[in-house]
Amino acid sequence: MLNVVFYFQVHQPYRLRHLNVMDIGSDESYFDERLNREVMRKVADKCYLPTNKLMLKLIKKYEGKFKIAYSISGITIDQFKQYYPEVLESFKELAATGCVEFLGETYYHSLSFLYNKDEFLAQVEKHTNLMIQEFGQKPTTFRNTELIYQDRVSDLVFDTGQFNTIITEGVRRVLKWRTPLFAYKNYSRTMNLLLKSYQLSDDIAFRFSDKNWSQYPLTSEKFIKWIDQLTWKNDDNKNQFLNLFMDYETFGEHQWAETGIFDFMEKLPEEVLKHQGLGFANPKDANKLANYQQEPLAFPQAVSWADEERDLSAWLENDMQNNAIETLYELFERVLAKGDPELIEITRKLTTSDHFYYMCTKYFNDGDVHKYFSPYDSPDQAYIYFINALADLEERL
Amino acid sequence: MRILMLTWEFPPMIAGGLAMASYGLVKSLLKAGVEVDLFLPTKEFVYFPLRKEDDADTLPFIMLDEDYQPRKEEVVTKEFKTIEEKMEYLGVTHIPETYYTPALVKEFTNLISTFKTEEIEHRSERSIFENIIINLQGHEDIFKKVQEMAFRAEKLAELTDFDLIHANDWLCYPAGMVVKKMSGKPMIAHIHATEFDRAGGPGDDRIHKIEYSGMLYADQVIAVSKYTAQMIISRYQIDTGKVNIVHNAFSFEKDNNFNKERMFKGPTILFLGRITVQKGPDYFLSVAEKVLKKYPQVRFIMAGTGDMARKILRSSASMKLKNRFLFTGFLNRKQVERVLQVSDIYMLPSVSEPFGIAPLEAMAYGITSIISKQSGVSEVVEHAYKIDFWNVDEMAETLIYLIEHPEECRKVGLLGAHEVKAIQWDKSADKVKKIYQEILDSNRGEIDA
Repeated sequence: MLNVVFYFQVHQPYRLRHLNVMDIGSDESYFDERLNREVMRKVADKCYLPTNKLMLKLIKKYEGKFKIAYSISGITIDQFKQYYPEVLESFKELAATGCVEFLGETYYHSLSFLYNKDEFLAQVEKHTNLMIQEFGQKPTTFRNTELIYQDRVSDLVFDTGQFNTIITEGVRRVLKWRTPLFAYKNYSRTMNLLLKSYQLSDDIAFRFSDKNWSQYPLTSEKFIKWIDQLTWKNDDNKNQFLNLFMDYETFGEHQWAETGIFDFMEKLPEEVLKHQGLGFANPKDANKLANYQQEPLAFPQAVSWADEERDLSAWLENDMQNNAIETLYELFERVLAKGDPELIEITRKLTTSDHFYYMCTKYFNDGDVHKYFSPYDSPDQAYIYFINALADLEERL
Repeated sequence: MRILMLTWEFPPMIAGGLAMASYGLVKSLLKAGVEVDLFLPTKEFVYFPLRKEDDADTLPFIMLDEDYQPRKEEVVTKEFKTIEEKMEYLGVTHIPETYYTPALVKEFTNLISTFKTEEIEHRSERSIFENIIINLQGHEDIFKKVQEMAFRAEKLAELTDFDLIHANDWLCYPAGMVVKKMSGKPMIAHIHATEFDRAGGPGDDRIHKIEYSGMLYADQVIAVSKYTAQMIISRYQIDTGKVNIVHNAFSFEKDNNFNKERMFKGPTILFLGRITVQKGPDYFLSVAEKVLKKYPQVRFIMAGTGDMARKILRSSASMKLKNRFLFTGFLNRKQVERVLQVSDIYMLPSVSEPFGIAPLEAMAYGITSIISKQSGVSEVVEHAYKIDFWNVDEMAETLIYLIEHPEECRKVGLLGAHEVKAIQWDKSADKVKKIYQEILDSNRGEIDA
C-alpha cells in the first residue's frame, strides 16, 4: 500500500515595521500591524478560505478516505483571531471531520532548538496547548520549523513524551540510495521519521505553473501516473508513504487560482482512490502502518526544506543573521529573568525564523525566493530593523 | 552690492555641509545688507532674488520661461504650504551630489605628477576654457547637470544685474566662469572641498581640472580653512596672493532645542555625516570594536547614508557588535537635532575634512567632541579632542577615558558649547563682504586708471 501523506505548512510571521534608531524609546509596537493585517487578509482570501472550503468538500465527498495534515504556527492562529476569525473557524470545521491531523511545532515558528533548549520545549508546549484548545487534538507528530531536523531535535522531541513521529525533508545526502517512501526511525530508534518526497512535492509547489517546465501543464492524471510508476509495487505489502509536504499558500497564493491549482487538487483524490493499492494517510498513521523493521537514519547535520542547499543557510549563513540571532538569545535570558510577560511575548515574536530569512544574502534563484517573501528592500534593511528592535528591547529591561 | 551666488545645495532639501555653509553665509550676508541672487541646479529654470535676511528661509523665486523671461503668472498664483513643498516643485535635488565621485577612475598612479605638468601649459584664458570643455565631457548625469547650469547661467547673466559672482565648489565653477566671461564681472571661487578631500585619494582627473581652471580664472579664491588653503596652494599651485581663508561657522536657530535627553542608559557615541571614505566611518567602527570589548554597554550610532554604509554594516555584524552599533539611515533636520540631544560624545574621524560644520553643531549641544586633526574645524575650536584619524588606539583610549570620567566629559562638553557660540556666521560674512569690497574697489581702480 502506498499512502499519500499531504502535509501543509500554515505560517505567517509578525513582520517588523521599519523601525528606526530614532524610534527607540517611543513605546510604539515593533510590528507592522497594517502590513500583517493586509497580508493575512489577502492570503486568507486567496488561499486559506477557498482551499479550506475545497478540502472540506473533498473530505466529505470521500467519507474518511481523504486525509490531510496541517502544521499551523501559534502566531498564525493569533493573527487569525486578530485579523480574520473566520479562517480559524474554517480550520475548526476541518478538525471536526476527524480526517485532519494537526502537527506539533514551536508556537513562534522559531529556531530555538539551536539556541535555547528550555525555550524550545516551552514553545512546543505552548503550541500543544493551543492545538488542544482550538482543535481538540493533542499532536503526536512533530514538525520543526521549516522541516529543520537533525539528531538532537529527535532527542529533544522525545523528551517531551508526547510525540512518536517527526516529519522532515528527504534530503539525498542522508538518504543516499534509499527511497523516501519508507517510514524510517531516528538515529536512536525512539521516533518514526517521515521524509518528504521533494521531487513530487515541488512539482506541485514550485513547478506547477512554470511554462518553461518540460512537464507543463501538470494534470492530476499525469501526476498519478508518476506515482503509479514509483517502485513501491516491488515491495510486497509493505506500507509506504508518499510524503507531499508544502506551504499551504501553494494553493491560490504561490500558484494563483488561474493556474488551475484548485482543479488539480480537486481531481487528485479521485485519481488516487481509483488505483488499487493507493490511498491517503495522516503522518500519525505511520506509527501503526509501518509493518516492517524501520531503518534508523542519522542526521548529524541539520537539514531543512529551504533552498537548493536544504540546510540552515537560508537563516543562519551570513554575519548579519548570526549576530542578530545570537544577540536575540543572549537578550532572551535577561528578558526571562525580568519576568515581564509583555516583553517575553515580544521577544518570542522576534524568535520567528522569518526575521532571519529576510536577512539572507544568497544570490540566484534562491535569492529571488527570499526577495519574494521579504517585506523589506534588502537584507541589510531587515537586519537594521531587527537590531533596532533588540536595542529598544534592551533599554526596556 | 548684489552678488550672483551659485551653489549646488541649499536647505531645507539637503542639510549637508555645503548646504549649511551656503545658507549660513547667505543669511548673514543679507543681514549685512548684501543682496543675493541665488542660483541652484533646479529642474525648473528659476533664480531666487534674496533681499532681506528672512528670504534665506522663505526663498522667493522668479521662474523663467523658454525665452528666459520671468514667468509672472506662476509666481503669483502658486502657493506652497511649506518651503519643502516649494523646493520640491522647483525640482531641487535631494541627493547630496556634491560628494558624487565617479567610480570610473581606477588607476591613480602618477596622476598627480601628470596633472602638474599639464597645469603649467594651460595659462591663457582660451586654454582654461578648453580645459573646462574637455573635462565636462562625461555621460554621467552630474556632468550633464553641470553643463546645463553653465548654459542657464549664460542666459541669467543677461537678465539680472549684479556686481560680483560667487561660485561654490567645482559644480558651479563652469557656470561662474561663463557668467564672468559674458558679464565681465569679477568672480570668487569658494572652496568647500576639493576632489582630494571627497575621494579620499586622488579622485577624478576631470574634476581636478575643473577645480583648477575655476580657481585660476577667479579673481579671488576663498578657502574654508588653513588646511584647505594649504591644499589649494600645494596641490593646485594657486597664487597665494589670491587665496583667502574664511572659516565656516554655526548659527543657532531660534527653535534649537539644546536640552539633553536619554535614549540609551549607556554612554552614546555618535558619528554624523555621509558614510563615505572621506569621513572615516571605518575608523569609527574600529574604535567601536575596541571600546565595546571593555565597555559593552556603550552604544554607537552611525547616522547618515553613503556608499560605504553596507560595508560598515556587514563588518559590524561580522565583528559581532550585537545591538550596540546602530544605523539610522538618512536623517532629516529634526531627526539630526534629536540624535544630537541623545548623544554624549561625537566623533569626526574624517580622513580629510576641509572644514566640518557638524562638530560645531554637536558642540553647541554640549556634546564632547573627538575630531580628526585633518580637519579645518580643528583650527577654530579649543575644547575638543584632536586626534589623527588613523590613530584608532588613541581615539579608543580617549573614549574610554571619557566614559570612565563622565564629569570631565561633561565639563569639556560645556566648555565646547560655550566656545562655539562665538563662532558665528556674521563674522565670516563680514570677512567675505570685505573681500567683495576689495575686488570691486580694485576693479574700479583698474577702470579709472
